[in-house]
Amino acid sequence: MDSPPPQSFALVITGAPYSSQAPQTALNFAEAAIRAGHKVNQVFLYGDGVHLASNFASPPSDESDWPALWRVFIESHQIPATCCVASALRRGLLDETESRRYEKTGANVTAPYAIAGLGEWLESTLNSSRTLYFNPDH
Amino acid sequence: MTDRRFLFVIDTAPYGHWKGREILDMAFSAAAFDQPAALLFTHAGVNWLRSGQLPDAVQQKSVSKNLSAAMLFGLEAIYVCQESLDHFGIGKPDPGLELVVLASTSDLEARFTDVVRL
Repeated sequence: MDSPPPQSFALVITGAPYSSQAPQTALNFAEAAIRAGHKVNQVFLYGDGVHLASNFASPPSDESDWPALWRVFIESHQIPATCCVASALRRGLLDETESRRYEKTGANVTAPYAIAGLGEWLESTLNSSRTLYFNPDH
Repeated sequence: MTDRRFLFVIDTAPYGHWKGREILDMAFSAAAFDQPAALLFTHAGVNWLRSGQLPDAVQQKSVSKNLSAAMLFGLEAIYVCQESLDHFGIGKPDPGLELVVLASTSDLEARFTDVVRL
């Protein structure tokens, strides 16, 4: 069987870890896609999906650490990863800059994640063959 | 890069869930960047189109005001599913909105490259 021509994907995750399976499903997809020779152009966390970017998540040691697994994956494949700023600020996901701006006591978002607007989602969509949305139902 | 056409589907009621607002933000963002984009209200999403909403009573901001900006942002169309309007007993949706009521929405998605549901 001929393999399909390589595709490039933008991934949008809108389900939070530990309340939905969306981050796990998206990670499985992303790993399979790269293994099959495709490219993941961008990971965009939107809505409750921004919780995946938290450095403060501390799940029990006998459970999968989805935020850590995602971070390793993004770094090892050097995939640009963005938290939607409007979703992140509402839910208390802040990098150093936003933490200072809003005079909060901590910052839980660091590299590889950047905090930016929906322009990143649109740009990566336009530069990818497809955008897949991983929702809380997935 | 191929030309894209976006359909944003809102299928939840306006004040019980945040995701409709998040889809609307995506739709406005796409339209603001000159991408062909349309909205589809279906299932409980048709409740967005009720006139005379009183969001203050539930300490929320009106979604009607957001929605009436849709045409200003350059959205191509606001589609509504007739069956869902009937199901929720909405005889006369918000007269301030230009709506395209569809007897069937099954052919609609095929006209778009990107169908976005959250």
